[in-house]
Amino acid sequence: MYDAPKSLETTLDQKTAKITARDVQVHYGDNHAIKDVNVNIEANTVTAFIGPSGCGKSTFLRCINRMNDTIDICRVQGKILLDGEDINDKRVDPVQLRAKVGMVFQKPNPFPKSIYDNIAYGPRIHGLAKNKADLDEIVEKSLRRGAIWEEVKDRLHASGTGLSGGQQQRLCIARAIATEPEVLLMDEPCSALDPIATAQVEELIDELRQQYSVVIVTHSMQQAARVSQRTAFFHLGNLVEFGDTVKIFTNPEDSRTESYITGRIG
Amino acid sequence: MNDSRHIASAFDRDLDSIHAKILKMGGLVEASIVDSSKALESRDQELAEKVRRGDAAIDALDEQINDEVANLIALRAPTAVDLRTVLAIMRMTSNLERIGDLSKNLAKRSDVLGQLTQISGATGSIRRMTREVEAMLKDALDAFIQRDPDFARDVIERDREVDEMYNTLFREFLTFMLEDPRNITACMHLHFIAKNVERMGDHVTAIAEQVLFYVTGETPEGSRPKADVTSSDMKYNPEAEPD
Repeated sequence: MYDAPKSLETTLDQKTAKITARDVQVHYGDNHAIKDVNVNIEANTVTAFIGPSGCGKSTFLRCINRMNDTIDICRVQGKILLDGEDINDKRVDPVQLRAKVGMVFQKPNPFPKSIYDNIAYGPRIHGLAKNKADLDEIVEKSLRRGAIWEEVKDRLHASGTGLSGGQQQRLCIARAIATEPEVLLMDEPCSALDPIATAQVEELIDELRQQYSVVIVTHSMQQAARVSQRTAFFHLGNLVEFGDTVKIFTNPEDSRTESYITGRIG
Repeated sequence: MNDSRHIASAFDRDLDSIHAKILKMGGLVEASIVDSSKALESRDQELAEKVRRGDAAIDALDEQINDEVANLIALRAPTAVDLRTVLAIMRMTSNLERIGDLSKNLAKRSDVLGQLTQISGATGSIRRMTREVEAMLKDALDAFIQRDPDFARDVIERDREVDEMYNTLFREFLTFMLEDPRNITACMHLHFIAKNVERMGDHVTAIAEQVLFYVTGETPEGSRPKADVTSSDMKYNPEAEPD
């Protein structure tokens, strides 16, 4: 009854793993934050990471674009492959990696610059635009894809910080996709937004799936259910269960998953 | 299956209330089946009247359960076992309500039958068939309480026996009608009653299937065991001897 429709199953089969994590361990000093996580994240799929606070889901998300490099006491072991290549290889430039693996944070964090410059910053430093016309085009395209163009097209040179919370978050998403990433990581992107802005961002996530792999960390179970095709449940640093979102929310295999999603004391 | 309580205790209270109501409804429906078949066999018009009046309470519970389930879905967004619980109960309640209606119909016909020629042995056979359906219903509800999938599967299998009892009755009634046309009115009523009891068995089977869905998350695959052949195999043949 809850098997995925045939067409969806076939497309999932054909999709290759965009990101493969093998035996990933993360330590913060003595704290073993991620224990032996193995997971395949598929292309053109929204994958949701859920779990109680401190379960390691954000830590694991931050491994995917090496954000943990910036924390001195943080030690990452195991392999994370992006299109088959080890992202922790010495030859990989983390700045280049982060252009490919974009990130959107919990709190909208636009640069204290104009809306235009917020978007143009990344393409400029990565040399993605040959000239001003090119850059204009990238800015417009990104803002359109971020579903915010109509609201800001007449004030591109106004400050990004002057927008509403929901608009700021969509601006940050537009900024993240301006460098044409292949993977978009989102760490609770809607927790500071009202339901309407949340719905707009969720709609956007669904559209982005056509081009990117999206990985979203969320505390809202309903959001995970609404936007994702695959769901991973983390608990105490372990990846407890990973599967089709419909299966996880109707008939999870692990009792810890069930306790968590049904709101029970596990 | 998860026995622990929700962090939001109001969620548990809502679920407990729905649980209590479906079990209460199940009890009323069981009693209704027992009473209507007893009324039929003993030509007890008072008891038949009690069954007819009692159906209102069953219908009221059905309505209450549906309202509470709708509220729970709207307000608590149940998932996993909670979702399966309310979906299963929502379907079970409509099956129970239908069984209640069929039992009420049985009681109505028993009044009419009281004024007609007795058909020897017929009410006894129907009583046995009804007893089996009532036992199946009791077991299906027990399987629900105990979350026992094997018990539920057993109930589904037993519907075959009810179907076979119906087939036998169908032939008997045909014979009686052929023997003496004055039996026709009574036999027509008796046949409707037998058919109703056979339908009750189907509803009980559907309840047992919901128990399976609730416990395992899967609905049984393939078709149910079907032994009611009267609609396809038993053509009217006046020459045929009943076996």
